[in-house]
Amino acid sequence: MGEINIYHLYPAHLNLYGDRGNMLALCRRAEWRGIEVNIVPVNPGDRIAFSSCDLLFMGGGQDSDQKLVADDLKRRSGEMRKAVEHNMVIFAVCGSYQLLGRYYTTARGEKIGGLEIMDLYTDAGKGRLIGNAAINCAIWDPPRTLVGFENHGGRTYLGPNLDPLGTVLHGYGNNGVDKTEGAVYKNVIGTYLHGSLLPKNPWLADHLLRKALAYRHQDHGLRELDDFTEEQAHQAALQLAASKRVNKKPSL
Amino acid sequence: MRLLIAIWSGKALIALTRMLGRGGTTLPGRVALAIAPGLSFLLARRLKQGTVAVTGTNGKTTTAYLVNGILEKAGYKCIHNQSGSNMSWGVASTLIENCSWRGRMDGDFAVMEVDEGAFPGAVAELRPRGVVLTNIFRDQLDRFGEIDSIQALIKKGLDQIPAGSFQVLNADDPSLASIKNDNNSARWTYGLELELPPDEFDNTGQDLKTCPACSKKLEYTRIYFAHIGHYRCPSCPYRRPDPDVRLTERRVSAEGISRVKLNLPDQALELNVPLLGIYNLYNVLAAVTCARALAIPTAAISAALGKAAPSFGRMERFDKDNKEIIMALIKNPVGANEVLRTILNQPGKITIVVAINDNIADGTDVSWLWDVDFEQLSAVASRFSAVVVTGLRAWDMAVRFKYAGFEPERIMVEDNPGRAIEVALDQTAPGSKLFILPTYTAMLGMRRHLNKMGLGIPYWEES
Ligand SMILES: [Zn+2]
Repeated sequence: MGEINIYHLYPAHLNLYGDRGNMLALCRRAEWRGIEVNIVPVNPGDRIAFSSCDLLFMGGGQDSDQKLVADDLKRRSGEMRKAVEHNMVIFAVCGSYQLLGRYYTTARGEKIGGLEIMDLYTDAGKGRLIGNAAINCAIWDPPRTLVGFENHGGRTYLGPNLDPLGTVLHGYGNNGVDKTEGAVYKNVIGTYLHGSLLPKNPWLADHLLRKALAYRHQDHGLRELDDFTEEQAHQAALQLAASKRVNKKPSL
Repeated sequence: MRLLIAIWSGKALIALTRMLGRGGTTLPGRVALAIAPGLSFLLARRLKQGTVAVTGTNGKTTTAYLVNGILEKAGYKCIHNQSGSNMSWGVASTLIENCSWRGRMDGDFAVMEVDEGAFPGAVAELRPRGVVLTNIFRDQLDRFGEIDSIQALIKKGLDQIPAGSFQVLNADDPSLASIKNDNNSARWTYGLELELPPDEFDNTGQDLKTCPACSKKLEYTRIYFAHIGHYRCPSCPYRRPDPDVRLTERRVSAEGISRVKLNLPDQALELNVPLLGIYNLYNVLAAVTCARALAIPTAAISAALGKAAPSFGRMERFDKDNKEIIMALIKNPVGANEVLRTILNQPGKITIVVAINDNIADGTDVSWLWDVDFEQLSAVASRFSAVVVTGLRAWDMAVRFKYAGFEPERIMVEDNPGRAIEVALDQTAPGSKLFILPTYTAMLGMRRHLNKMGLGIPYWEES
């Protein structure tokens, strides 16, 4: 019933905010459908060819970790950009979402170059943007909601031709100002939402799996699963994000 | 005068919140501090023997409780705060509660559990005679933002401790032992030196520990859990310091009581410890080392530890119709993993209730649930007679259990915490154990329900 290769980038360094949940959701939802999953951890210095990667997962990291992997990542950027143009799937959360852009500035004011896969940049902001969040996501028709938790000091701004992942319903989004959240370019999705994101938003997990299968020309379609538990968690989180318990001001 | 007004307002508010049936310690302290910001400093220095402050990610409540017990056994009158009152206002509330209307302190020692974030402020206010540091793990990231900042907070606090005081810290935690501070306080270290089977738990999301001198990844000859163990740098002389107090032997009886052997600098000490879990051995070590730094006689240490009961939701036990209810607070991945490890070491069938809230005191971000190795439970799913989830984030936990590998039909979601306990008790056979794993505010709720069932007593009436 098909097979996909999921590469997990720097699992020892980029693993903040329950990223394990995102990997679990991808793996379980593939396995439940009889799709074989091969997980390939990519560590700094490893000789890895992205040509056999179908789906690349990049998690969050703190500034010190991001700096640690930035050099290794730079060496891989050419190959990664080529794979992206061929429609390889990337799902990047929080810190690594920032790494996909042109540059990001750390809380200490250091400017660190990014992979330049997406036309975006990130500046350090005053105070962190923290709280439950929900966005309206137009990569489906009709649009669906995504629910998660955001916690970032950086403010991300998208270039004129880059689509956001969604528009903010509750929370801050990319920069707390323009109501955009995340970004989409070809099969690359970047977002600040964790929580973990995929288990509570199973259709995004399925969307990524579908794209990864299509990238390998395996058009089996994905069998429907019973997502009652996930749906309940999604609805509960949506209500929480809408409630007054959401932080209104950046917390310093 | 300002101080007296602050004390009176604080005392009046404490009385009022008790009347409303809550153990509130936040509001009285906040109001009193607003009136007299120097209140904690002024009251703490009226203590005859001074203050011991305990901080760290895990184990600070139990460690503070054990230190308190030892000091009382040694004949001192102690003031002690409850976990949950470990911010500056909680410390202030505790001091107000234990002073006279005229501001006289009734006590020899204050043993204060202090939140890591509040540690530098608490050191400045309390001018402690000693500080005890347990460990540093990933905790509520929504509060601290990044892990490096916890270490920075601890260092900031240590830099301020008064000359002539002492510090007690865990030699087995490189993130603590590597903190350099330049004051002339006496430094005491403790460590575990046992042969233990390796920890099977996957502590995802833990930091890689690197050498503070040369940034190489540290090598371990023993790991007790997460990054706690015996480490050294492969490329420079940096290594685990030789502990002043070492725990070298442990035998566990059928009733779960550990007989442990401790090596102090000048003598050996054998003790009975009725607390479950490896992590409690560290709490015992921390408390004994602190007692030693205070030159407390060993007889008082043994007597106090032999009678130590689990403190406030840390493997606290209740009995209901020949069913044992054990409540164990969970609040971060490493602590939760250690609780799960202890549960799995219990014989027989187990019922489990996980109660997850996301209030500020719990941490508003529940993503840490994904870094807890719940897969260890589903690997032996048949041992569980029921799995119940409740709390404000019950459904998040239900999803966690589902992806850990439990059949969705077996995961019972009960929004009402009281009902969750009842349902779980129904599923527990006499002679079996029911484990309740709540986050902090969920634990307070669970306790109220247990109190209503006639189990335990309200916590503000304790001690
Ligand atoms: Zn070194």
